[in-house]
Amino acid sequence: MSAIEDTSALPAEAPTRRLPSPRMLILWALIVTFCVVPFGLVLAISFGQKIEGAAWEWAFTGENYLRFFVGADWPESRTTLYLNRLWYSIYYAVIAALIAVLTAFPFAYLLTRLSRRAQSRWLVFLLATMSLSEVFIVMGWDILLSNRSGLPMVLRETGVTAWLKDVGWFAQLREWGLANPRDVKFKTSMVATVLTMSYLVWPYAVILLYPALSRLDQSTVEAARTMGAGPWTVMRTVVLPTVRLPLVGTVFLLFVFLLGTYVSVTVFADPSQQTLAISVYEAVRGSTLNAPFGAAQAVILLITGALCLWLGRTLVARTGTPA
Amino acid sequence: MRDLVLSGIRKDYGRVRAVDSVDLRLAEGQLTALLGPSGCGKTTLLRMIAGLETPSAGRILLGADNLTDRPAHKRKFGMVFQNFALFPHLTVRDNVCYALSIDGVPRAKAHARAEELLALVQLEGFGDRRIGALSGGQRQRVAIARALAQEPEVFLLDEPMSALDANLRETMQVELRMLQQRLGITTVVVTHDQREAMTMADRIVVMSDGLVEQIGTPQEIYHQPQNAFVADFIGRANFFDGVAREGSIDVAGLSLRAQPLNFTPGAPVRVAIRPERVQLGESLPDGNRIPAEVVFLRDVGATRDIHLATPLGTIIAEEAIGTGARRLDLGTRVEVNLPPEALHVFPAATHVPQAA
Repeated sequence: MSAIEDTSALPAEAPTRRLPSPRMLILWALIVTFCVVPFGLVLAISFGQKIEGAAWEWAFTGENYLRFFVGADWPESRTTLYLNRLWYSIYYAVIAALIAVLTAFPFAYLLTRLSRRAQSRWLVFLLATMSLSEVFIVMGWDILLSNRSGLPMVLRETGVTAWLKDVGWFAQLREWGLANPRDVKFKTSMVATVLTMSYLVWPYAVILLYPALSRLDQSTVEAARTMGAGPWTVMRTVVLPTVRLPLVGTVFLLFVFLLGTYVSVTVFADPSQQTLAISVYEAVRGSTLNAPFGAAQAVILLITGALCLWLGRTLVARTGTPA
Repeated sequence: MRDLVLSGIRKDYGRVRAVDSVDLRLAEGQLTALLGPSGCGKTTLLRMIAGLETPSAGRILLGADNLTDRPAHKRKFGMVFQNFALFPHLTVRDNVCYALSIDGVPRAKAHARAEELLALVQLEGFGDRRIGALSGGQRQRVAIARALAQEPEVFLLDEPMSALDANLRETMQVELRMLQQRLGITTVVVTHDQREAMTMADRIVVMSDGLVEQIGTPQEIYHQPQNAFVADFIGRANFFDGVAREGSIDVAGLSLRAQPLNFTPGAPVRVAIRPERVQLGESLPDGNRIPAEVVFLRDVGATRDIHLATPLGTIIAEEAIGTGARRLDLGTRVEVNLPPEALHVFPAATHVPQAA
């Protein structure tokens, strides 16, 4: 008997339609329950109606969305309060994400040049810092930047504040909102808000950039050097273009993450420069108790995030993708 | 003459000495192969020439210029890497004119030069392709064109054929050699493939454990190995240990005549003979004739390896397979002759590492 047999004569097996296994059904049920239903509820509530002096009721009205864009008293008067908050949400998130990535990139690049052992130690340390909650980090920064006991006090006591006044730079700091008439101050300021937000996501930036940079073929860097490229030219013409996609991806991921930052903005941002995340919380759980309007703001924040991602993706695609 | 001179080059990585006291003069316009097994220090030496590693000691000179402390981007030696190291985010054309672009050469001029170089490596019309769309051989040609774009004085290749399949490797060896001869550029090729080195090089530098074992033309290296390592690493050789006598060597109770020896009688020696120099048949000349029995036969294309059990141990003889070739079967008793002029005698202490 031959070990290899001609199987062409065998009747073809009829295709059978397989039913999904119970395990798959449970998985889908979990996905729908915990991912789709909450978003669906928020979307549904955003069309609901607030009952004055009470909670809210199911409805199908666009008033909450209208209020967001033009205010509650439109057409008598128009306000852009919530559009401003959306703007600050995007502004803080973009700046903080960029600062985090710009500072994390050289660190991650140098990290990949270290020995395996040193890299492991740094990565473990960074992963450990990621376990710190936003509240804990903001508390630390709150103390660090507080006017009485933090950095402003150090600057005052060491004479730096007086020196800044002497050389005329204090006035500039006041213009930037980083000083009151007497002292340097960080609370409240946009700088402190953005720096704290960057600090929050910095370990994430390193962890996200590390795999791409560690996979970077060092021989391409060396090849560029042998062709006359100095360190900065190598960075500009080889390293950055090679890791462009992970780099842009990291910025977008951190941006979306930062859109919803709450504690940092509450503590460090001026009330006139607060974000939509604060407004959503105020509407849902805070003073106004208007869940439908809070839900509408949340939906708009979500759509804004998605639009920004789409825009970024389109821009990246237009500038060409690496092979 | 702008010869490349390495003088007393040494490289240490902590306690490990990768390259030890290398003195070389690489003649202008010649192709030199650095040949040796993995880990012998040949790539480290090439990287020091390129400026990618700093020597722990010694000097690197190009003509009268001392390059020892000059960084790689100021030496601008064209280099082809083992994995070609092409830039995946650039097209073939942009890869080739990279050195010109960063040097500020106008785009049109750089592109024209790229087209010339692509034609030189027979890749006309490939300029707009992505690197990912090229085969291994095409990538190697792009890497060569890219390294030549800056018109380097020295051209360095680090195992450039190792990523290619056997057929393509043979073709590319010949093509690369012809290209080098046409351009007349001083070239250093690192390889662990002795056939590749023999095919391409004007001179071969055989290395082992960070040391230069022998420098010479391919023929010198093959026919006049200076030590047992070179005899073993370059080509194949049968080895047996013996004791030197006046004009002969005692091996396993037999006395073999040998070329004039520079050994004190009684000194332990290691004897080598190439398989193709082992003679067997009916009408053998007088010489070192010893009885043998065929224990294994292996046809290798145009030649046949005949493994023979002899009083000296197993000896491999290589014979051309032709129409007049005699028929040998396993167990056939024959006589073999080891011509005295074909015996290479080395001090017994010479190490013979396992060749890669």
